[in-house]
Amino acid sequence: MKELKGRIEVKLSDRILYATLRNFAASYKVSRQNAFEGLDFDALRRDVNASKDFSREEVEDLFQQFKENVERYGSHVYRAKDGADANSYILKVCKTHGAKYLVKSKSMTSEEIKLNAALEAEGVKPVETDLGEYILQVSKDHPSHMVMPAIHQTRGQVCDIFTQHFGKDICPDIGDMVELVRHHLRGYYFKADVGVTGANLAVASTGTIGIVTNEGNARLCTTLPPVHIVLLGYEKLVRNFEDAMKVLRVLSKSATGQISSTYVTWIKGRNPSGKSEKGLKETHYVFLDNGRLDYFAHHTLKEALKCIRCGSCANICPAYEMIGGHVFGNIYIGAIGLIYTALFQSEEAAKDILQLCLSCKACSHNCPAGIDLQQLIAELKLLAGDRFGISPLKKTVYSGVMSNPGVFRALMGIGSVVQKPFLDKDANHLKLPFPQKHDFFVPPSVKRPTFTDLAEKRGATTKETETRAFFYPGCAVEYFYPNMGIALVDLLEKAGVRVDIPPISSCCGLPAAFGGDRPSAEKTIQTNLAFMGNPDDYDAYLVLCPSCGVAIIQQFESLLREDQSLRVKARKIASKTKSLSSFLEEKGIKFSGVANKTVTYHTPCHLGRGMKSTAEPYLSELLGKNFIPLTDTDVCCGFAGSYSVDFPGISSGILGKKMEHVRETGADIVVTDCPGCVMQIESGMVKRSLSAQVMHLSDYLASLETLGAMEPAP
Amino acid sequence: MNLIERFISYSELVGNVNTVIAASGIEQVLGAGGSQRRYVNAPRFGMEASTLDVDEKGIDEAIVQADYGIAETGTVVIDSTDEKLRLATCLAEKLIVLVEASRVKERLEDVVDFLEERSSGENAYVAFITGASRTADIERVLTIGVHGPKEMEVIIVEDR
Repeated sequence: MKELKGRIEVKLSDRILYATLRNFAASYKVSRQNAFEGLDFDALRRDVNASKDFSREEVEDLFQQFKENVERYGSHVYRAKDGADANSYILKVCKTHGAKYLVKSKSMTSEEIKLNAALEAEGVKPVETDLGEYILQVSKDHPSHMVMPAIHQTRGQVCDIFTQHFGKDICPDIGDMVELVRHHLRGYYFKADVGVTGANLAVASTGTIGIVTNEGNARLCTTLPPVHIVLLGYEKLVRNFEDAMKVLRVLSKSATGQISSTYVTWIKGRNPSGKSEKGLKETHYVFLDNGRLDYFAHHTLKEALKCIRCGSCANICPAYEMIGGHVFGNIYIGAIGLIYTALFQSEEAAKDILQLCLSCKACSHNCPAGIDLQQLIAELKLLAGDRFGISPLKKTVYSGVMSNPGVFRALMGIGSVVQKPFLDKDANHLKLPFPQKHDFFVPPSVKRPTFTDLAEKRGATTKETETRAFFYPGCAVEYFYPNMGIALVDLLEKAGVRVDIPPISSCCGLPAAFGGDRPSAEKTIQTNLAFMGNPDDYDAYLVLCPSCGVAIIQQFESLLREDQSLRVKARKIASKTKSLSSFLEEKGIKFSGVANKTVTYHTPCHLGRGMKSTAEPYLSELLGKNFIPLTDTDVCCGFAGSYSVDFPGISSGILGKKMEHVRETGADIVVTDCPGCVMQIESGMVKRSLSAQVMHLSDYLASLETLGAMEPAP
Repeated sequence: MNLIERFISYSELVGNVNTVIAASGIEQVLGAGGSQRRYVNAPRFGMEASTLDVDEKGIDEAIVQADYGIAETGTVVIDSTDEKLRLATCLAEKLIVLVEASRVKERLEDVVDFLEERSSGENAYVAFITGASRTADIERVLTIGVHGPKEMEVIIVEDR
């Protein structure tokens, strides 16, 4: 972990990288949106996901079909069990032909098996022909993005690389440099003895591969040399061309925001080749296993094999945007890179970088293959936690404190006393002497009385109404923001809703689950369910912390491995768990008395993507012109629980961008829907001496006048 | 927007020049340009395959016929099993593609039967081409003509 943190520091101090990745993220979003204009993205990705859903047996069948289709006409098919096996087969083919030069089009699979190094060690010179890969090959660098491998290089840096490589002055004009490479590489296509490509698709029904490029280099690699070697993983297999088209329709749109890439090349078997003695090309297909076949048999990890390599999980990842793909990934990059590192390299190599995930779910939401990448990362963290253990401090916190509400409460009680010398003037925050890199954060103070203390004192209305809600406070409301909870109870009771609360508040278990501590998470969930009443008695379970909502909806049932009756209860509660704004909309509860103040809204990750809810339309309707939309409202604020403590540089960098957008709105009030986001954004305000008030939705609405339940909007 | 307009709008998006001509206008296509090193292979339009050798230096122009156009992406589909045609379309500075209006289809799925049929035998090489060769690998700046054509023109020939 220390080594990783060192590498993060280096990237965070690289201002050129910061600007490059930030510009890229902004422009990508626009072009992607344009490319999908008028299409139903969710329907398309459901189709892709379903069409690539294979069991191990099914993928074996597809492979056999593919194999028969090409072997029948004299092509060779080799099953490589791992990288070394694949490399030695490819080398053997090269040696048979006395190959000196080999031209390659871009292939992540070849990066996975380190093919170039293996070839060079045996005296075969591989020449990368994709411009980005060529730049990296010349500078002995490696990709930082799966589709735009040299995105971390500026034109000036590329110019320096070429100047040194070609031993002459090169003009740093992009067009000139491209022209130079065009002429330089042309000769290699003609003198190469072997061409190596990957495949984006392998159509089993006919034995045809599809290769997608923009430059046209794969066309030359597969046309000029007399031998063609295709290196591909089993996950590239699709049943037929119908399914291939589904992938194609989303691939370029997601990758680069293009409607289609320039070239999609469909190749089957041995095509005419003037350089071949027999007039037909010699063709080899090397299918790489390296664990893939076993993963097809795994009920959740097989999802990862549906990846179509568009690279977009990096494009929209706030953490990638801060540190780039040399750190956020290993060979494969982005969210899928974290996952593939665990699957294809080693769990040891993955255990630290898995922690780089903010759990913001932007990747899952954006994946054109419909892979819930964040969920897979969370699972792999649990597996890594099972195998390597988690940090001793976190273990103590998750197992000894958070899973035990009594201990938690007692410790927080001590905290409320110990913190006194550090209380800020407003008594709501602490002034702690943090080391500099953590100094972007202003923690809230521990509150005594807690939410449940206050609620008990306040007492509930005895009025029996038809509408009953159960409010789950979670630890943030209980100990740091009790007023948010009281606000919710107030405003709902005014609207005629009876609100019940648990007798004692507990942690929801999400920190333990996302932190990789399965036993503590499970114990915490069991404790929670005992306090959550009978789901048949309630219209809804409400949360003010959407992370608790995500835990209840997504984690509770799945983490309870043994107890069937508890699983049923968890499922019922999950189906009724909602955000405040969804509940208000559903029940038609309205407010008036909006003061003439402008409001903007940050959508918390676990609300927007986790619970699929946002208060934006609700506030927009309520406030009219006083509502000012926030640019990138649904991009993470950088808090992500203990992430802000583990990776303060990344967290504060992400927050900085959020603050810029907040400042642009000029709003008087920033409303959001999550105590963690309130904590983080408030810190950003304080440290930047900005004056806007940060409020949870419940606090904000409680400051208005409740009009009670109206007819639900038609 | 009709099919042809839709095709042209996406083809223009990638920088292609698009023209719609009457069948009688074909001869003018060959007449124009008149470059030194030109490869022609469009038998459906009465242009038999030329014998020009394509080498490392590349050629000025390739004029070929497409089997289909795909409107949803502005793509032309070219059976490229013939090695010389393949090389010519890879290494021409300018690529000119002829296609009948009736062969422009709506969706990617509309050429699935063609791909199946072409892939049913011992070999196949079918190219989907959507624009000139391009890259954005340096600073994401769009640059045309990395390995292949620097210009592309699609000529849609009225046949209905």
